Amino acid sequence: MELSIDRLTKHYGKKIAVDRVSATLTPGVYGLLGANGAGKTTLMRMLCAILEPTSGEVRLDGRDVAGMGSEYRDVLGYLPQDFGYYPSYTAAEFLAYIAALKGIPRAAAGKRVKELLNMLDLAAVADKKIKTFSGGMKQRVGIAQAMLNNPQILILDEPTAGLDPKERVRLRNLLSEYAGDKIVILSTHIVSDVEAIADQVLIMNAGRFIIHGSVPDLASHVEGKVWELTVPAAEARLWKEDFTVANYRHEGERVVLRIIADERPSPQAVPCAPVLDDAYLYYFGIMEA
Amino acid sequence: MELFALEHKRLWRTPRVWICVLLCFAYSVVWGSVVWYQWPGFGTKNDSTDMYDNSFDGYSAIRGYQEEFSQFGDEWTDETLQKIVAKYQSYDLMELPGLQSKGDWSLASDILRDLYPELKDPENQQYQPLILYADTTKMTDFYQRRADLLEYTLETTRQNEGMSEADKQMFLDMNSQIEEPWPYEWTQGWANGALEFGWSKMAPYLAIALAFIFSGEWYSNTAPLLHTTKFGWKKLARVKVLNGITFALEFYLLIAGGKVLVQLIYLGTSGWDLPIQYMSLLAVAPWNMLQAELYQLAFGLIGMFGYAGLVMLMSALVKNNVLSLVFSLAFVYVPDILGRYLPKWLMALSQYLPLVGNSYDYLNYNVFHIFGLSVWSPWMLITVPFIIGIVCIPFAIMKWSRRERA
Repeated sequence: MELSIDRLTKHYGKKIAVDRVSATLTPGVYGLLGANGAGKTTLMRMLCAILEPTSGEVRLDGRDVAGMGSEYRDVLGYLPQDFGYYPSYTAAEFLAYIAALKGIPRAAAGKRVKELLNMLDLAAVADKKIKTFSGGMKQRVGIAQAMLNNPQILILDEPTAGLDPKERVRLRNLLSEYAGDKIVILSTHIVSDVEAIADQVLIMNAGRFIIHGSVPDLASHVEGKVWELTVPAAEARLWKEDFTVANYRHEGERVVLRIIADERPSPQAVPCAPVLDDAYLYYFGIMEA
Repeated sequence: MELFALEHKRLWRTPRVWICVLLCFAYSVVWGSVVWYQWPGFGTKNDSTDMYDNSFDGYSAIRGYQEEFSQFGDEWTDETLQKIVAKYQSYDLMELPGLQSKGDWSLASDILRDLYPELKDPENQQYQPLILYADTTKMTDFYQRRADLLEYTLETTRQNEGMSEADKQMFLDMNSQIEEPWPYEWTQGWANGALEFGWSKMAPYLAIALAFIFSGEWYSNTAPLLHTTKFGWKKLARVKVLNGITFALEFYLLIAGGKVLVQLIYLGTSGWDLPIQYMSLLAVAPWNMLQAELYQLAFGLIGMFGYAGLVMLMSALVKNNVLSLVFSLAFVYVPDILGRYLPKWLMALSQYLPLVGNSYDYLNYNVFHIFGLSVWSPWMLITVPFIIGIVCIPFAIMKWSRRERA
């Protein structure tokens, strides 16, 4: 299975939301990273074939998904950002309704709904109305509905929004386990979520992919560009003005800064092992410059 | 089918929907029928008895009228009119029982005013109605007098309001099909209220229930989710439309069925074969009360169907619930509100919108000319709303089943 994105573009009047984006996705977990307004949601909606691109196309195994209609939607699972639900429905009723829309036979749907409610720790509240749920519980209902039809392509827009740390870990494990021979695309601006599970990371800014690769690949791009420097607390602000500071940690009267820079920022700075956060900040720093 | 059942259940479970249905039922059936038959219609607004201890319970009053007016025979002849007037004149008005106010005295009084104007006493300075003093022996040739007045009225309409000779002849031909003598029994039960369904008053309730059927999915932000499901496009749109129409039908059955049931309880079936001319003396349609009621029911059913189609199209066209509701209501109320500012032809056309036109148009002389044919307006009033409903449905489905452009 191959999902290819070919020069996909979306304009809203004069504003360019997605600008000639191209990529080829094969089974695995893809993390779409980018700041708010980078074009992630617009791209995902075009991938789901619910938003018409200004130009370009999305193909599944060589076929334009816009022309595939229900055949494409049959293999698709989608969690929109700001997931909407019917307040008067219970979690189980809502999932049964979406299962019917996905064309899952009633008996199979009942079984799958139970399975997902258990997987997402919602079984105890299955018969409670969704309007009484916390934000994290609602988000888990949204994730469950996306997975109902066991989709070959699972697209999750900000799935970790509103989840507490324990729920985030549970979701990461669930997605890692689920992926296998499927394409899972998740967008977030929380780098650690992507770092933990994504096979490939696509970093987006101003409607374009600025870089993509595996987490170690991307981290290796900033090998030798990440430094740790301990300075007096009073000087810390000056360093932040001149350099990209990835982390800022107090140690007594002094502050330990994690600085991203092409050159050693100070003779006292010591090189350290890069992580995805560093790569993300490095490339955003370049784009902003 | 499962999807339809789930959608249907979801619609009925929406508080807005069932509150609307309950309010409409309370307004139309409980207040507009039960209470109306029992008190303002045939009883009294104030109390159950008057100072003479007459019962003012609508149910028993109706039976009283039916019993009392059966003494005048079962056919309408000159003699019937004479007997009714003579009976009325025999009453000492000070002692006329209060429950007599809905007797057929008003029918006789109207007939005297329209067909026997020469009986009016020019010396009568007190403007008393003819029925109080007219000479009953001169109340003859009822059917001929009615035919003459109808001819005169149609000719006046032809000369002053542009009715064509062919249209006039069409109405005269219709009139010639009315069988004479007319059957007779107490008429006021049918003539004053049994046929009043108030269809246009149901429009806001139907609009509030259905205006959010598509737009509500954008409001609740579920549309993007539904659009990515296998059946979330055309099939869901078809199910939603079917659901809307089914709801309109259920709503109609509840209200119309409720009103007919109340009518059966209070009036019974007696009087179904009375001609509609008892409602309007110069009406030309050769219909009886049952046929008129069936027309009213068809008018309501088709109107509800057409209006449901319009409302669902508005709901699919706009993503905003309030706009969807406002546009839907505009179809019914703008012609009323802006009527006098609209060109006459536009005002006339607006009458063919669902639930807008006059469901009693079969009592008038309105004709619609299309492709050289003269079509009696009551037929247009049930045909056009049906066509509107049929046309709106595919557009609503198409609009929902399209990818977003922006």
